[in-house]
Amino acid sequence: MKKRAMRISPDDNTATALNDIEVGESISLISKAGPVGEMSVKQAIPFGHKVAVVDIKKGEKILKYGEVIGLATQPISKGEHVHIHNVASALLPGGKEAK
Amino acid sequence: MEFLGYERPDGSVGIRNHVVVISAGRCGNEMAATIADSVQGAVPVLHTHPCVRLKEDNERALRILAGIGSNANVAGAIVIGVGCENPPPAQIAEEIAKSKKPVAALAIMGSNGFQEVMDKGFETARHMVSQASQMQRKPFALSHLTLGVKCGASNATSGISGNAVTGQVFDRLIAEGGTAIFSETTEVIGATHLLAKRAINKEVARRLEEMVERMEARIKATGEDIRGSQPTRGNIAGGLTTIEEKSLGAFAKTGTSPLQGVLEHAEKPQGKGLYFMDGTAMTGELIGGEAAAGVQLHIYNLGGGLTSSFRCLPGWAGGLPMLPEVVIVSNPSRPRDSQERECFDIYADTIIDGKETVDQVADRAFQEIIAIASGKLTKQEMRSSYRELLVLYTTGPIL
Repeated sequence: MKKRAMRISPDDNTATALNDIEVGESISLISKAGPVGEMSVKQAIPFGHKVAVVDIKKGEKILKYGEVIGLATQPISKGEHVHIHNVASALLPGGKEAK
Repeated sequence: MEFLGYERPDGSVGIRNHVVVISAGRCGNEMAATIADSVQGAVPVLHTHPCVRLKEDNERALRILAGIGSNANVAGAIVIGVGCENPPPAQIAEEIAKSKKPVAALAIMGSNGFQEVMDKGFETARHMVSQASQMQRKPFALSHLTLGVKCGASNATSGISGNAVTGQVFDRLIAEGGTAIFSETTEVIGATHLLAKRAINKEVARRLEEMVERMEARIKATGEDIRGSQPTRGNIAGGLTTIEEKSLGAFAKTGTSPLQGVLEHAEKPQGKGLYFMDGTAMTGELIGGEAAAGVQLHIYNLGGGLTSSFRCLPGWAGGLPMLPEVVIVSNPSRPRDSQERECFDIYADTIIDGKETVDQVADRAFQEIIAIASGKLTKQEMRSSYRELLVLYTTGPIL
C-alpha cells in the first residue's frame, strides 16, 4: 500500500503523515472519508509530522483541523516538512523555542 | 434512533440498573464495601474525602456524592457512615431523594451501634436490589443519553484517530438531541480563544475564560507557569509544532458542535448539547464529576503512550462501577498484540493502518455505544471486581 498522509479538513494546507515518508516518495492524501489524491514529498516526513499540501507564503496561516495552528516564518513549498523550523505560534510569540 | 434503558422517577433513563452503597466519608468505606460485596447487584462508592476540609471542598463533595446517587444508572442508593462526616449521610441522602428514587441514610451515631447499622444495610440493599431486578429495559430516544470523555496516553495518533472518532460520535449524539460533556481545564490554558469562539454567546465564552484563568491562577500560586513548557520536547519530536496544534488535537474529541454552556465540577447541565465542565486531567477524579453531572457512559481515548495490550485500567475508571467506561484505542497494535484485540471496546488504529476511514470507525463506534447503552457489557465491566478509591476534586488544603 502507498504511504499516506491525512488532510483532516478540506481547508487545511497541511496533512499529517500516517507513515514515515522518505524524500521523493509519492504518497496518497486521505480525508476522513477516504483517499482524495496523490502528491510527491520533497523532504522526509516522520510519522505524525506535517507536510505542506500547497505552496505557503511567508506569514500565511498554517491550517490543520480547519483551524490556524500557527504562521509560516518563511515560504514553504508543497511537499516540504512543516514544523518548528518554519512555523511559529500565533498565540505565544517565540513559542517555537519552547523547550 | 433508540436505545434500551431503565426509566427513573425523575424522567431520566439509566443504561445500568445498580444499587449503590455510598460511603459518606472515608470512615464509612469499609461499611459500604462490606454491604455491597455481600449483596449481588449492589456496588460501592468508596472515596478519600475526609472530614478535615474547608467549606468549598465539603460542598463539592456533597454535589459529587449526591450527584452519583442521583445518576440515572442508579436504581436505588444507600448512604452510610459514622454520622459525623462532612457532608453527613443524611444530608447526602436528602439531596438524592430529590431524584425521587429509593434512598436510605444509615449512620452509627443515633443508632444502637455498628451491628444494627450493618444489618439494616444488608436488608435495605437486598430490598432495593430485589425492586431493581423487576425493572425492564424499554426503548428511549438517544436524546436521553449523556456521554463524557477523557483522553490519555496521547500521541500523534490521538488527534487523527481516537479523538476524531469521538468527535464524530459527539456530533452524531448531539444531532439526535443528546448531551456530551468534556473537561480537563488545564488543557485549555493558552488556547482558551480557540474553544471560546465555539460558545453560543458571550456569556458562555466569558465563563469559560474565567474558569481557565482560575485554574491557571491556582497553578501560578505554587510558583509554576505551565504555559512556557508547551508543547513539550516530546510533543515536538512527535510532530506537534505549536500549543494551538496540541490544544486543537485535544479539542478534536469534542467534535464541531457549538459550546452550549460551562459547568462547575459535578454541576448538571440545564439543556442538551455540548458542555464544558471544570475538572482536572486525572480520570479517577474526573469521573466522579461526570457521573454527578449526569453522564451515563464515559469514553476513554487511549493514545499511543501505552501499549495496546495493556488492559489494566483500574486507576482510570475503577473507582466508579456504576459508570461504564468505553475504551477507544488509537495506537496501532504490534504483531504480538494482534491476537489480543479483545482487550478494549473499539479499535481505531485501523485509521492509521489505512484499513478503515474515520467515518467508518465512527459508524462502528456509534453502534457499539448504543449497544453498550442498551446493556452490552464493556470490556472493563467483564474484567474483574478490582476497585480503586474515587478521588474527589478539591481545591483547598486538608486541615
